Amino acid sequence: MSTLWDTNGSAIVKELTEQRRTGGAVMSGVALTLVVIADEDRVVEAEAAAAAAAEVHPCRLLVVVRRQVEAPSPRLDAEVIIGGRLGPGEAVVMRMYGRLGLHAESVVLPLLAADAPVVTWWFDAAPDRIETDALGVIANRRVTDSLMAADGVAALRRRAEDFAPGDTDLAWTRSTPWRSTLASTLDAVVGRRGGAVQVLGGQVVGDPENPTAQLVAGWISARCGCSVTVEAGQRSTGSKGIDTVVLTLDQDEEVRLTDDRKGGAVISQPYRPDATVALPKRTLGELIGEEMKRLDNDEPYREALEAATGVTGLADRAPVREHVWFDPMRPAPAAPDVPADSVEDDEVAETGPGDDDGGDDSPEQG
Amino acid sequence: MTTNPLRDPRDRRLPRVPEPCALVVFGITGDLARKKLLPAVYDLANRGLLPTNFALLGFARRDWDDVDFAELSRTAAREHARTPWREEVWERLSNSVRFIQGSFDDDDAFDELARTLGELEGSHGIGGNAAFYLSIPPSMFPVVLKQMQRTGMAESTPERWRRVVVEKPFGTDLPSSRELNGLVDSVFGADDVFRIDHYLGKETVQNLLALRFANTLFEPVWNSAHVDSVQITMAEDVGIGGRAEFYERTGAARDVLQNHLLQLLALTAMEEPVEFSAEEIRTEKLKVLRAISVPKDMARFAVRGQYEQGWLAGQRAQGYRQEDKVADDSRTETYAAVRLGVETRRWAGVPFYLRTGKRLPRRVTEIALSFRKAPHLPFAPTDTEELGHNQLVVRVQPDEGVTLKFGSKVPGSVMEVRDVSMDFLYGEQFTEASPEAYERLLLDVLLGDATLFPRNAEVEASWAVIDPLEEYWASTTPFSYRAGEWGPRAADEMLASEGRAWRRP
Repeated sequence: MSTLWDTNGSAIVKELTEQRRTGGAVMSGVALTLVVIADEDRVVEAEAAAAAAAEVHPCRLLVVVRRQVEAPSPRLDAEVIIGGRLGPGEAVVMRMYGRLGLHAESVVLPLLAADAPVVTWWFDAAPDRIETDALGVIANRRVTDSLMAADGVAALRRRAEDFAPGDTDLAWTRSTPWRSTLASTLDAVVGRRGGAVQVLGGQVVGDPENPTAQLVAGWISARCGCSVTVEAGQRSTGSKGIDTVVLTLDQDEEVRLTDDRKGGAVISQPYRPDATVALPKRTLGELIGEEMKRLDNDEPYREALEAATGVTGLADRAPVREHVWFDPMRPAPAAPDVPADSVEDDEVAETGPGDDDGGDDSPEQG
Repeated sequence: MTTNPLRDPRDRRLPRVPEPCALVVFGITGDLARKKLLPAVYDLANRGLLPTNFALLGFARRDWDDVDFAELSRTAAREHARTPWREEVWERLSNSVRFIQGSFDDDDAFDELARTLGELEGSHGIGGNAAFYLSIPPSMFPVVLKQMQRTGMAESTPERWRRVVVEKPFGTDLPSSRELNGLVDSVFGADDVFRIDHYLGKETVQNLLALRFANTLFEPVWNSAHVDSVQITMAEDVGIGGRAEFYERTGAARDVLQNHLLQLLALTAMEEPVEFSAEEIRTEKLKVLRAISVPKDMARFAVRGQYEQGWLAGQRAQGYRQEDKVADDSRTETYAAVRLGVETRRWAGVPFYLRTGKRLPRRVTEIALSFRKAPHLPFAPTDTEELGHNQLVVRVQPDEGVTLKFGSKVPGSVMEVRDVSMDFLYGEQFTEASPEAYERLLLDVLLGDATLFPRNAEVEASWAVIDPLEEYWASTTPFSYRAGEWGPRAADEMLASEGRAWRRP
């Protein structure tokens, strides 16, 4: 491990090569790059989760911490670690000060594993529009976490408005154990009947403010073509936001799944005794691991998101995004379709340390 | 029309979960059950891959009740589980654990087993589905199977499935395996019999199919026009442990060559299956197994060995004949190497060298394809002295992965070409997520997916390869080799006589 103070991207690339040479046997089959964007106060949490995910999926890990955008002069500090605290692979933690934070991609681009997919994960609240973050634009898969936003449901709606194939949200990932149990419960009904099952309606009881509860309701609605809503429950719920899911089936039957608050869920279904299944709480690392497992577009998520938010036409969105320049220090531009010229971006990054005076006269303000 | 609206083939996050069912293990107190099966059941439960209605029944002679059994299972699962221990997961599981005490010829015990299964159908909602795992010596099969037939436990009906899982050895030669297959298939339907070859549950073995049939790079050179020879090795550093009695009767060829190595050969040499389904893959494997030819010159191309005392990994190892319960003049082999051919257009003329042995320097299983040398080299002969055959090596265990060996210029002012290797490490990077072989295979049994299980015809075709070898060997004494070396000299000479050499794995 080594720390580079007040450095630049080329020095990081050099240091990585150097460490790879001296570090002995290093992973040779890097399958993807994981870019993590986190704030300083919770970067430790994000690092731990990313490291746990890197244990399972080989990746190059790039952690970007943006600090003090208003700092007068841009600066880059970097930590280069191979096989250690941040998992078995290569990892770089970058702290970007000043206006460099707005050009983070200038440092990140040369560090991406060659011709391998890029996953960008915003640990904290994601930007309203992913196009405004160049680190999202370079990614094949973009992972956000609506639960981190102050208003999860509003965040989910923003994700729907902003959606492009390749987007996914950890609120959706959290729903997998519930969805899996629901699906296999219906399998059991199908098996018993020896024929098809129809879901006529249903209800999710839990926290209506919780994006995961909303997505599960959306998923059932989308799959079954009926309207399922989230009703406020009496009991408080955890991060999953779900207490009970009830599905009304044809032939006057009903199945019900209830969180037993002991790490499991009780399944009630007709003609069968109640059964308990484990719904273990998963760590953030496991959630990120699940996201890295498959890099194809997540159509079920898209449909659940559509149904949960009422925003339509998500299937027609183009998978390619173009970066939209956005300066948090200035009011948003009136016309959002002014793409930043990448040549200019590079120029700023290269000449940055020398002639920056707060960035107010940066050429990118067009 | 889909029968379950919540199932969506595009939804790759939702795992394949079997229907409600019970798993009945005969010989639950055995080593395999404790070290592999019970931990695999726990790991499956922990990963949420067991159905919501599931029951585990143990059957053994020991005088236990459910509580003793639950305790033993818990200890075994906890000790050997691959995934982190979660007490709440085990608690759910232990609610549905039952123990049946009895011997295999005890009618009452089997009646009770049938009754318990019936009860669980109602109380645990297992819907009548059950898989029977015969973790018992093959000599017990007939009596257990008869009992199951008598109690009607083995019958699959449209409402329920009943499956049986059998471990190797599947017989000791062609007639005995036919008899065994006939017996098992007469009690269970042929489609309901799952023969476990745990090598096929390994990720790399499945990756071999992906490597060959998902890429364009390898298949064009995967034939006799480009491949010079193939070496398939399964080496173990351990001796026979406490299995002397079994091993004395069996030997390396029947223990490993007949199943693991021939299955690996089949997967390496088979044609592209029409589709990636159990039936099609087995069909292609069977074609290869039937096309295998044994050497005419057995004395040269079928070598047996037996380890003598020596040093292995810094420790003294005793010879095979000195092991407990092994006869002083034992002629059982602990090493076998053989040159096989595959008589198809693709492989005619390419030797397949198979070897397996105990007390070899290290534990390793690999498939190595050695390619022909370039027909012409524009370099001076001295430039390429160090250049060997290009090789593609699929490492099955340990360090699962793929290695490509090719020539590269040595940096410097002169032209010198030397072999280098390019490595893809599979296991090390995915270990956390890749399931243990038994876990995967057990799940496949419960799902009814027979892709990774050899069919009875394959087993019989494999014996047809082994039988002539055994017949020749019956009158010979194995060559000796020191524990800790790569087999007997005769095995080296076997390759040297054709201008080749074993790869050091």
